[in-house]
Amino acid sequence: MTDRTRALKDLLWLLVFFGAIGILFRLWYGLGPTTNLSDPLPWGLWKIANMVAGVALATGGFTVGFLVYVLKLERFRPLVKPAILIAFLGYGSSCFALLLDIGLPHRIWHPIFMWNHHSFLFEVAWCVMLYFTVTAIELSPTLLERFKMEKAAHFLHRIAFGVVVVGISLSSLHHSSLGALFLVTPSRLHPLWYSPRLPIFFIISAMGAGLMVVVLAKMLYAKLYDPESVFGKPIRPSQGAVCAIGSEPREEGRDMPMLRAMAVIAACVLGVHLALRIADLIATRALGSLAAGTWESWFYAGELLLLGIVPVTLLAVPAARRSPAGLAIAASAAAAGLLWNRLNVGIFGYFQDAGAVYLPSLVEWAVGLGIFAAAGLAFLYVSETCSVFDDAWRERLSASAATVPSFDKLSGVWYRALSSGLHRITLLAVAALPLAWVFLGPQAAGTGRENPVSPPVALDAQRKVLWIDGDADRIGVTFAHASHKERQGRERSCGNCHHLTVPRDHSTPCYRCHASMEGVTRIFDHSKHFHAVARAEKLRGAIPANHSCAVCHKEGEAESAANAKRCMECHAKDMSPRHGPPETLQLRDACGYRGAMHRTCIRCHEKEAKAQSKPKLSTCTHCHGSFQPQSPAPAPEETLIAGTNSEAKPSLG
Amino acid sequence: MYGMLIDVTKCTGCEQCVAACVAANGLSPEAADRDRAVTPDGLSANRFLTLQPLGDSGRFARRSCMHCLEPSCVSACLVGSLEKTPSGAVVYDGDKCIGCRYCMLACPFHVPRYEWDTTTPKVKKCHLCHERLGTDGQPACVEACPNQALAFGDREQLLAKARGLLRDHPDRYIQKIWGESEWGGTSLLSVSDVDLTPAGWSVQKASAIPDITGPLIEKTPWIGLTVGASLLGLSWIIRRRNEMMALKAAEVPSAKGGEDGEVDHD
Repeated sequence: MTDRTRALKDLLWLLVFFGAIGILFRLWYGLGPTTNLSDPLPWGLWKIANMVAGVALATGGFTVGFLVYVLKLERFRPLVKPAILIAFLGYGSSCFALLLDIGLPHRIWHPIFMWNHHSFLFEVAWCVMLYFTVTAIELSPTLLERFKMEKAAHFLHRIAFGVVVVGISLSSLHHSSLGALFLVTPSRLHPLWYSPRLPIFFIISAMGAGLMVVVLAKMLYAKLYDPESVFGKPIRPSQGAVCAIGSEPREEGRDMPMLRAMAVIAACVLGVHLALRIADLIATRALGSLAAGTWESWFYAGELLLLGIVPVTLLAVPAARRSPAGLAIAASAAAAGLLWNRLNVGIFGYFQDAGAVYLPSLVEWAVGLGIFAAAGLAFLYVSETCSVFDDAWRERLSASAATVPSFDKLSGVWYRALSSGLHRITLLAVAALPLAWVFLGPQAAGTGRENPVSPPVALDAQRKVLWIDGDADRIGVTFAHASHKERQGRERSCGNCHHLTVPRDHSTPCYRCHASMEGVTRIFDHSKHFHAVARAEKLRGAIPANHSCAVCHKEGEAESAANAKRCMECHAKDMSPRHGPPETLQLRDACGYRGAMHRTCIRCHEKEAKAQSKPKLSTCTHCHGSFQPQSPAPAPEETLIAGTNSEAKPSLG
Repeated sequence: MYGMLIDVTKCTGCEQCVAACVAANGLSPEAADRDRAVTPDGLSANRFLTLQPLGDSGRFARRSCMHCLEPSCVSACLVGSLEKTPSGAVVYDGDKCIGCRYCMLACPFHVPRYEWDTTTPKVKKCHLCHERLGTDGQPACVEACPNQALAFGDREQLLAKARGLLRDHPDRYIQKIWGESEWGGTSLLSVSDVDLTPAGWSVQKASAIPDITGPLIEKTPWIGLTVGASLLGLSWIIRRRNEMMALKAAEVPSAKGGEDGEVDHD
């Protein structure tokens, strides 16, 4: 085994290890604390990257089957088994990710018995279940061969064609249905991505990119185990190079023509996809959003570049097409573009409508990457030990013990990782991240679901006096809760402060009642008063209002509510004599709108309700919310209650 | 079919309806209280209903499940745990739900909420107190409203009542009944003197979402069968052609070039 293979496996094992930790966290704490999913954006990394994109990347299983079994293009026969392996692992890992993503994993079997045939998700669930079974059947001869069960393998070979046809039919359904999943969100998905033709785009892009993934997998296998098959033997320059990789001229690998042909087919499919997408953009008149220069338009352009323009261009240039590097870049771009497309449709396209942003949490990254890594390890294991790409495994098995490729155990990874200084430091750093997360607790991961205001603390058993320090800066006030309640009117007064429509009601601020009269309160608009007083008193000067202070406040004293005129000194004429408030009404009674209304009006209303036997007079709704016409405006002669009410309403929110 | 008429001009925002809803559903008042402050729009698994202030107008819009006539969530749920009952309520069966959260994505009003903080989470939303409706009962919120801003009854009658209101008070109301036809119509209707656009009505389409997906999904079995049959046909034709060519020439032609790829994208 080469160092490169070993390094790759070590990396994958580490990812699997952290993924396993993440899975434990997810199962122990639930989705809320461990993921950054939220009500506005309920679908995240696992569902979109692992499930929707994972399934799409595994499309090779049915497209290669189509090319070989239906179109009888026998030259692609060597790629059938790798493609089936990719499909099996892709679907298996998708189902596993879905198991963790759904809130109640123990009910994953429900769709088998509980049907809703109006749901595209139901169709996807059934097709994925059936197709996963199909890939398992298709893959089993390979495994049975490995364990020398030739008879069963032979039987499965005989039914292969039927299985392939069933598999292709199922695939053509669920790959388009995966796109149709997003058809239910016409108002939520960004117009660049929402299109009635999403199902068509999904299946075509998956078919093209799925073939590219098979090409990529073959190249990866060749790189690790069998370089000559793709990258060719080094030859002397004098013999003339067919393709150049690095500085060393090599002759073309024996599998290159096959890979090139497959990549060309894939590029044709992707080219058709690209053309359809652009035509659709014109048809849905979303071309304007592409030119808008928003981040969505850049994401969209990047997606088309990776999924369409880069692979098609590279495959169209003969020099790039003939070099393994060019082929690898084209295939990687297509695979990345497909992933990017699914992320755009499933996650990024919803940000604008949700007014929120989703970034996967640490656990989501760990599990998402871990599942991909586990699929990668399984791919390496099966292709090493079974006849997937070639029959070299037989030689590997029969070769001497020194060269037998032992599949790496986790202990081996730790041993190697701890044996070198650099590895040790890296490992510690990587391990420290989840550990820090554990010790700082889920709330430190910034789920943002806690009350940001610290609640009042009772200083005595009866909650007579509270200590209020809403912003938790240790500068607070004692609050005489009991006497506030007493003065405001006992039990019925709770709503004065604990009013549910007041945002952040846990900390209805003191200034809501104890407002400075200079500030905005509802009963007394200071700025309005000093202009009105100036007009009424016919004051003169550059700014007449500046002279109005002395009309209400005692001269020579700091102007405050305490030394201001009593309301009734001016407003007695606004009150009808029978219903008027007591003469003793003072500004301090009218601290804010609520105080003015509740503490001065209600008492009389209750009295009059009894006196006139009109019970409605004392209900909240007598004043609150009864419709007041906007015009004509209430005349000043109208009662204070009606006048203030219509004015006050706009600010209740 | 039952419905509810919300007269936004009568609502004072006291949220007695929310308190009644919280009590009727056995939810935690503290959690409901907290979630008003910490959630973006006031809805959560502890609050099925909220009153959203409409800017500085002093008016409040009810945000809750609108009980669509053709609900997107019901069509989306793969196990059928959501159902539009004959009473008009869209109800949820927590025993079927697998927790895929597709209903949350599918709702055009962004209503269904999830119990994120438990390990056995369920979807939570207003169910129109459907278990109380049979015996002349009303939803808890309707009973609690001190100002009769919510009216409960037969949807058609409420629609007629709403039209009457608009006709009798053309100066008071915007001439529009929210929920009459949006997304195929909802059981909850609103009349208002303030535009309700910011309160979940930003996109108003007359067609229901199941009308988009329904015709498509009906075709899928036939698409599958057609694909299967055409594969068999195609493969038979190609095999036959190969046989004929093998007969003609001693050698089977091997390379067919890249343009074969053109066949597989239709």
